[in-house]
Amino acid sequence: MTPYAFMAEVLSEKYDVAREAISPEATLTELGLDSLTIVELLFDVEDEFEIEVPEERATFQTLAEAAALVDELIQAKGG
Amino acid sequence: MGGRRVFVTGLGFVSPHGEDPAAIFERICLGESAIRMVRSGTPEFGADVPLASIEFEPGDRINRADQPFMARATQMAVVATRNALENSGLMADGRGPEEAGVYMGCGLGGAEILQRSYRTYFEQHTRRVRPTTVPLIMASGPASQVCMTFGIRGPAHTYTVACASSSVAIGEAFRSIRDGYSDVVIAGGAEAMLNDGSVAAWQAVGVIAKEQTDGSGAYCRPFDLERTGLVLGEGAATLILESDERASARGAELLAEIVGFGASSDAHKLTEPSVDGQERAIRNALEDAGLPADAVGYVNAHATGTLAGDPVEIEAIKRAFGAAAQGVAISSTKSMHGHLVGASGALECAITALALRERRIPPTAHLTVPDPACDLDCVANVGRDAPDLEIALSNSFAFGGSNATLVLRRA
Repeated sequence: MTPYAFMAEVLSEKYDVAREAISPEATLTELGLDSLTIVELLFDVEDEFEIEVPEERATFQTLAEAAALVDELIQAKGG
Repeated sequence: MGGRRVFVTGLGFVSPHGEDPAAIFERICLGESAIRMVRSGTPEFGADVPLASIEFEPGDRINRADQPFMARATQMAVVATRNALENSGLMADGRGPEEAGVYMGCGLGGAEILQRSYRTYFEQHTRRVRPTTVPLIMASGPASQVCMTFGIRGPAHTYTVACASSSVAIGEAFRSIRDGYSDVVIAGGAEAMLNDGSVAAWQAVGVIAKEQTDGSGAYCRPFDLERTGLVLGEGAATLILESDERASARGAELLAEIVGFGASSDAHKLTEPSVDGQERAIRNALEDAGLPADAVGYVNAHATGTLAGDPVEIEAIKRAFGAAAQGVAISSTKSMHGHLVGASGALECAITALALRERRIPPTAHLTVPDPACDLDCVANVGRDAPDLEIALSNSFAFGGSNATLVLRRA
């Protein structure tokens, strides 16, 4: 599963975000996530892809930006 | 003491005997225990422990997106409160009365969440614990999430007074209405500390009931000579308290009246109870209610089934009641639902309200050989009708020496 697909799945299944609202351009805030929910989501993403998102890199707004960062960290890990 | 009258107008349960008030009360009156021997913890370090656990799933009664932000005790509190608001007729479009206060008792908060974070740290050797750990551990989680879930905007207070937590919560809620600070309060308690780390800690205190030699499953037997200790339970109970004026104005069904609250401290020992402290709580409560001891027909005892505790409570009742002690019916329903610690006061107060309403006194289960040191009427094994029952007490006496007694009147 790609990082984007995984995030879309968690948003929908765990946080009950409407599927039709989820798109690459959607920002996490637009999807109704507060800061605690965003760090929880990131925690699940880190677990899934066995990466750690450095705090200073967590500046993404949209799902696409978050997915790109996760892709980059997976590559850097040597995946 | 003067002031406004305070009525119970709704009851909600998530209990070892289920969630339906009538069914819970019936099972308890029949002496039916919800306590089972279960395997607690891991295969390597676990133990067989008698517990009153609940197969609890919030399902669609809590929004799916909110569930990850609630510890088990909080989920139970939210569902019990949903049940109470529906029972009271105060729920409208999933919202409760906005002006209400929320007074909740809880001992350990998110005990299982704390255990999970320590497991991560010590087993996986990482500081990477879940971001929700702190807000889920808080003992104030139940009160906060009740407010958020049902749109309640009055004061939200949490009382953490060990085994007396939710009796104190109800007592203070009663006072806030009686004294004119609130018109309606959601009061109760929640506890879910049956995670194995907490269970092991309770076992270490040396107060957990042992397996009975007859294999009867009668683990928790307050006032019995063969008693070996208490049984931990889990769950939540919520009472809707309303002023006389508010309840009358909306034609609410009155389930019971709260008429007094007394509290005291032993200033004695951490875990050793004191006759003096308990006697003063009972006396304070009766004085608060302006009632003589001989008006009381039933005492829902704190009695947990420990060797030390039960005779102390009986002695405290004897001293507080004087000659009237011989005529009062006393039972420990913990013999069936276990000790819910921070939720026990609320569960037992709710059961006491039902006893007044039904004029039926629940028994102390498994009371076969009465301890001579507990020689009052402890309503052995079989519930009984009490056609004249008007006044009842609910006692909660906590580790740390904090004592609380509530006085209820039939409505």
